Amino acid sequence: MKFHPSLSKARLLALVAGLAVGALALSSLPASAASDPGVTDTEIVLGMQLPQSGPASPGYNKVDDAMRAYFDYVNSKGGVNGRMIRLEVKDDAYKAGLTVSTASSLINKEKVFAFVGSIGTQTHISVIKDINRRGIPDIFVNSGYSGFYTDPKKYPNTFGGLGTYVVEAKILGKYLKETYGDKKIGILYQTDDFGRNAVAGFATAGLKFTPKETAATFIAGTQGSLGLVSQMSQLKAAGVEVVIIAAVSSASAVAISTAAKIGYAPKKWAIISVGADATTIQGLLYAGGVPFATSAAMLTGVISASHAPAAGDSSDEFVTAFKKINDDFNKGPSKTWDNNVLQGMNSAYLTTEALFGVGKNLTRKALVSYLETKGSSLSSAALAPLGYSKATHEAYTGFWVGAYDASTVLKPVGTDRVVYTTDSGTGPVTVSTYKRPAMPVDALPKGA
Amino acid sequence: MRKVVAMVGAAALIVSGTILAIPSASAAPVCGTKAGIETCGGVLSNGAAYVIKIPSNFKGTIFYWNHGFRPSFPYPGYTPPKGIEEITMGNNITKTDVTAQMLNLGYGVAAYDRSTGGLHGWNTAESVSMLKELVDTTKAKYPSATKSVIYGASGGAPVVNMFAEKYPELTDAVGLATPVATNIGRQLQSGCDLFFIMSVFFDPTIKGCDAFGQKGVAGHMVALGELAKVGALLTAWSKNFGAPGLEYPAALKGSGIPQRSALLLMGLLAGMPAKSQHMDGISTSAAVPEQSINATLAILENTLDASATGILAGQAVAEVVGGKFYDNTKTDYTALLDDADSGRYNLGLSGDEAITAMLTMLKMAPRITGEATAMAGIKALDKVNYTSTKPTILIHNEADRLVWPGQSVAYVDAKRAVFDAQQSKYEDAVASAKTGAQILAAKKLKPTWNTLALYAMTPETYTKFTDTGLPVLSGVGATSGVGHQSFPSAQVLAWVKLLYYSANSGHLPSDALIAKNIAAGVGLNPDLEFRPTELKY
Repeated sequence: MKFHPSLSKARLLALVAGLAVGALALSSLPASAASDPGVTDTEIVLGMQLPQSGPASPGYNKVDDAMRAYFDYVNSKGGVNGRMIRLEVKDDAYKAGLTVSTASSLINKEKVFAFVGSIGTQTHISVIKDINRRGIPDIFVNSGYSGFYTDPKKYPNTFGGLGTYVVEAKILGKYLKETYGDKKIGILYQTDDFGRNAVAGFATAGLKFTPKETAATFIAGTQGSLGLVSQMSQLKAAGVEVVIIAAVSSASAVAISTAAKIGYAPKKWAIISVGADATTIQGLLYAGGVPFATSAAMLTGVISASHAPAAGDSSDEFVTAFKKINDDFNKGPSKTWDNNVLQGMNSAYLTTEALFGVGKNLTRKALVSYLETKGSSLSSAALAPLGYSKATHEAYTGFWVGAYDASTVLKPVGTDRVVYTTDSGTGPVTVSTYKRPAMPVDALPKGA
Repeated sequence: MRKVVAMVGAAALIVSGTILAIPSASAAPVCGTKAGIETCGGVLSNGAAYVIKIPSNFKGTIFYWNHGFRPSFPYPGYTPPKGIEEITMGNNITKTDVTAQMLNLGYGVAAYDRSTGGLHGWNTAESVSMLKELVDTTKAKYPSATKSVIYGASGGAPVVNMFAEKYPELTDAVGLATPVATNIGRQLQSGCDLFFIMSVFFDPTIKGCDAFGQKGVAGHMVALGELAKVGALLTAWSKNFGAPGLEYPAALKGSGIPQRSALLLMGLLAGMPAKSQHMDGISTSAAVPEQSINATLAILENTLDASATGILAGQAVAEVVGGKFYDNTKTDYTALLDDADSGRYNLGLSGDEAITAMLTMLKMAPRITGEATAMAGIKALDKVNYTSTKPTILIHNEADRLVWPGQSVAYVDAKRAVFDAQQSKYEDAVASAKTGAQILAAKKLKPTWNTLALYAMTPETYTKFTDTGLPVLSGVGATSGVGHQSFPSAQVLAWVKLLYYSANSGHLPSDALIAKNIAAGVGLNPDLEFRPTELKY
């Protein structure tokens, strides 16, 4: 702008002041819907990190293909408000260094709108602070570590995708104490946030363990290279009759096979759900030379818990619908139906529901706000509601306890499937009154 | 020490072609022209040498270089530098600098030897005066020099910051490379923690920073004695990778915890980068079976490279602040272990039980009590207010082994806090303004964000192994993101070009220009929101 020399000083001041007021008025207008990265009129880009390779990958490496299959199904129906969902996946091999670098790639190169369904407590903890600092939604994380969710001030954009290990352990612990209270109960757990979280939950349920005796530990990642002979021998020597495993599936497989090799036959095994996928355990045992029939027999009667229907429950409408979508859309190398595929499908289903729920004006802040205010009303295959609120970002608040039958389908331990609910604190374990809403006919949720 | 010798020696080589006739103190510079470059040399009023180089295509901007910390006294195998070592930023690994390229671009360059009577040490305040004299001398000699970039590296950064705040009229842009960008005490506290932890787990005779403070050669010889103890440990670990079990404290002897776990814990508690010249913190082999073992070796390599300079710098600072500045009587070492680190490196730390045992030992270990005067002195040392309005561009390796990148993070955060306060003041003034005059006055308060931090990143993986799986700790290693003051020329040139633009425009370059130069500086992170590991204190 040029100042005309013939303008009087008064007029000049008035003009400048007027322009200034105008500028202020303009700046006070609401910002036009600022477009966050990863969202256009036609597309939503989501990012996910998981171990697609390496020793921790078996089973979990199917979750991303299941999620993509469901998103492809959504896209085949026109997407979410006209936007196609694209899932960008990075393999971190369960190495935190790669989790850091691949998160950077997803943020800066792929320009993801949100992280969704990322897998791994010890890997995710390496990036969760940075993701939250940047204001990126980090939703349906496949970790039950309560520390990610129970203090939303710490991680305001992170929301769980599993019930916390504390909740699950409290419910499982209550059942074990009531059923096997006269037996010596011990635990094998990995010494990280996952294992510690589970031990805390069992303690709340009244199950306490003695280090070096009824509590055997190992460092996550060594189950394959170092084995678990000393740990299983310790539990055997301590006379533990009921062995709880709070570890990843590959460790569960090593523990069960090691016990068999050393002639240790506990009366009962109980495994935290993320380490209890029968298909994965059987696959790992088979790779070690154990025939499927033998491993099925080994798993029969093993106790676990679940927030969702059993993958083998063909009477469940979500299972039926997800299986068909898996058959029709999963392009992954292994789309064998199991708990991992079910969990992937369900996470994608919830993501779709939330994206629909936010509406056309999709922003990161709007998604986070939506999950905090309406997330607990989102429905899915889960038999317990999401616990989302402004006070906590914990996911499923309930589990049912089951045991594998001879065909490795998890069946309720009683005549009926009873879902129990509790919190990640010291609240009581009670029977849930939640009634799961029916699935839409087209298997497309439109938001709470 | 070897690294110090190598570093200083290399820097001297950089300027080996610059042989100048040195006039008497404060005399007019002696100049000569060769191949289109006018080179002027002289000495400042305290006897320190300076040099100015002006190309025939000079564009009016001069870059004033401030080199980093240099020990003052001769040690076995080391002779203190005399005269100009660096004219522009040298690379400690490749032994090159960008002086020729900057001159080709039409930039003038000037530098001085940050010494008084041949002594260097931690001499920030003196250096600010010396820099002022250099700028005045240069401007008098070259009236066409209208713009000044004040820039420096490592321990030269406090000089740059203090100068920019004291003499804004002589500063048009500020460049901070691998900088001690905030109070040196913040990092020395972590550095001293390293030695304390070594004394607890490896060698009870180590006094570390508690041995610092005696002035002169005698004090430095004491520091060297500490360095020798640390060196013995490092030499042993470089052969056995810390595999033997802990011998100290007595309660942990026979615990089965390998020394490398305490070494890793030491690095994590201090906030030392877990990547190094040859270890990427990720790659594995038969002999390095897990990522955290790789990271442990990275901390070992970083400690090997940094301990000599760190110890000597600590002693130099202790001399300045009047004695024992290190006090850990209130340090909660358990709180210093980040949750993410505890999980990520759990295997290398030998698991939860070992972590708990080691932290318990640190909690129980007798602490070091500092001297009140020295403790206050280090807090007040080289005070910066973060109020410079001049465009400021930092460059730092994401895994700098000596001056950790958290220094740059802390600097930007401090600037941001000042900016936010100014912004609030501006918004309040605008909100309460009623008249045109008040609005105009309010608008003058609007601050401009003027700080940009560039980070040089390592490749994702770069560790090499022998056929038997042992890590290869020789050769180039990572080509970016590691070492100290070791930026490839392309990265340095990207930085100085952005500084040149900033000095001449009065503000940071546009996003597009920043992106263009980052792309040219291969290895620089295009993610301007990146935050490396933060300082512990």
